[in-house]
Amino acid sequence: MSHPSRSLLVAGAWTATVTGILVAVPLLLRDRLPEPLAAHWGPSGRPDRSLPFWASFSLSLAVWALPVAIAVCAHLRWNALRHRAHRRTLGIVLGAGAAFAVGTQAITLAANLDRPGWHEAGPLGWRAFLLVFAAAAAGGALGRAAGGPGPDEPLVREPVVPQAGMRLRPDRRTVWVSSASNGWVTGTGVACLVAAVALAVAGGIVAAGVALVAAGVLAVAGLVVLWVSTAGVRVGDGGLVIAFGPFRRPRRTLPLATLQSARAEERRPSEVGGWGIRGLAGSVTIMIRAGECLVVRDLSGGELAVSVDDAAHGAALLNGLIARRAPVS
Amino acid sequence: MLLTLDLNDPRPLHEQVAGAVRRAVASGTVLPGQRLPSARELADALGVNANTVLRALRDLRDEGVLEFRRGRGVSVLRPPDGREVLRRMARELLDEAERYGHRPEEVIEIIKELS
Repeated sequence: MSHPSRSLLVAGAWTATVTGILVAVPLLLRDRLPEPLAAHWGPSGRPDRSLPFWASFSLSLAVWALPVAIAVCAHLRWNALRHRAHRRTLGIVLGAGAAFAVGTQAITLAANLDRPGWHEAGPLGWRAFLLVFAAAAAGGALGRAAGGPGPDEPLVREPVVPQAGMRLRPDRRTVWVSSASNGWVTGTGVACLVAAVALAVAGGIVAAGVALVAAGVLAVAGLVVLWVSTAGVRVGDGGLVIAFGPFRRPRRTLPLATLQSARAEERRPSEVGGWGIRGLAGSVTIMIRAGECLVVRDLSGGELAVSVDDAAHGAALLNGLIARRAPVS
Repeated sequence: MLLTLDLNDPRPLHEQVAGAVRRAVASGTVLPGQRLPSARELADALGVNANTVLRALRDLRDEGVLEFRRGRGVSVLRPPDGREVLRRMARELLDEAERYGHRPEEVIEIIKELS
C-alpha cells in the first residue's frame, strides 16, 4: 500500500474511533445522567448553566467536527498527505482536536454521572481544564509524531523566476538588513495594553474579578498583536534571520544550507488570510503589512514569505550566497 | 540596506562600518528621511560589536549624513558629499593599484584613457 493511502487509512480509522467514543459513551451512560446536564461551570467551580442531553451530545460532536472538517478540506484541496510538513500539521489538528473533544466530554460526563439534577453536578475547577489542555497538547504532539514517517514529496509549485543572484567577491562580507512594520497593528496592540491596564486598575478599585480576567486576556492579546506588528529581517553568511516584534525576539534562522532560492513578491493580507503568521507548514506567510515580501524556498520545496521593505535586494543577496555555496556542496 | 565589509581592509573596524553605511546611503537604497535599522541589528548582521556600529554612526552624524532623533532612531539627513565619496573611492582604487604593483601616476593615465 502506498504511503499516502496508508496515512489516509490511519486518519480515517482515528476519526472513526474518536467519533465512536463521542457517540457511544454518552448513549451508554444516558440512564445515569440527569436531564438536563450541567454544561458550564462558573469561576467558582460550581455548575452555572445546563443543556438538554441531545444538545450536549451534539455540542461535543460539533467540537470534534471542526478539526475533522479542517483535515478533510486540507486533504481535498492540497492533497496534504503527500508532504511531511502537511501530514504533521494535520496530525496536530486531529490529535489535539480529538484529545480536546474527548477530554471535555469526559469531564462533563464524570461531573454529571449519578447526580439527581444538574445543580448537584460535581465541581470542575481550573485543574480539570488544565488537564484537558494538557491532554490536547499531548494529543497534538502524538499526532505530529504520527505524521512524521513516510515519503516527503517536494511540494509541486508553478516555477517562478528567482531574483538574479548578486555577484559576490570572496574577500567581502555582504549583509542585508531590513524590516517591516505596521502602524495600525502597533496602534491596536498598544490600545489593547492600555485598555488592559485601565481595566486592571478599575477592577482593582471595585474588586471585580471578571475585570481582572478580562484585563489579563486583553494584555495577552495586545502582546500577541504587538509581536506581529513589526519584524526585522537580515541576510548574511548565516542565512536568513527573521526577528519578531519590537524587541526582535524570538528569532527564526533559516541556514543557507537549507535554502534553494529566493525572490521578491507582492502579497496582500487578503490573499494569505489576514495578518500575522498565516498558512500551513510548507507555505507560510509572515504578513506584517501589504506589499513587498521576501519569499524563500527550501530544499524540499516549502516556501516561507515575510513582509519586508527592499525585499529585492535581500533576495538577490540570498541567491548570490546560495550560488557561492553551491560548488562547495 | 545592503552593507559590504572588506575582510582584508586594514583600517579600524568603525571606519569600515562607516564606509559601508556611507556607500549604502550614497547608492540611494536608503533615502533622506528614512530610518536606518537599529545599531543592534546592524551589529548583529555585520558580526561586529554594537559600540563599533554606534561609533561609526556618530562619525556619520558629525559628517552630516545621518541625524539622531530621540525616540525615533537614526535617519538619513542627506546623501554624502559626492566629492567626499569619490575621494574615498579613489583612495580604495589607489590601494588596489598598489596591490597589483601600479603607481598612482599609472592610475591617472588609466583614468585619462577612459575619460
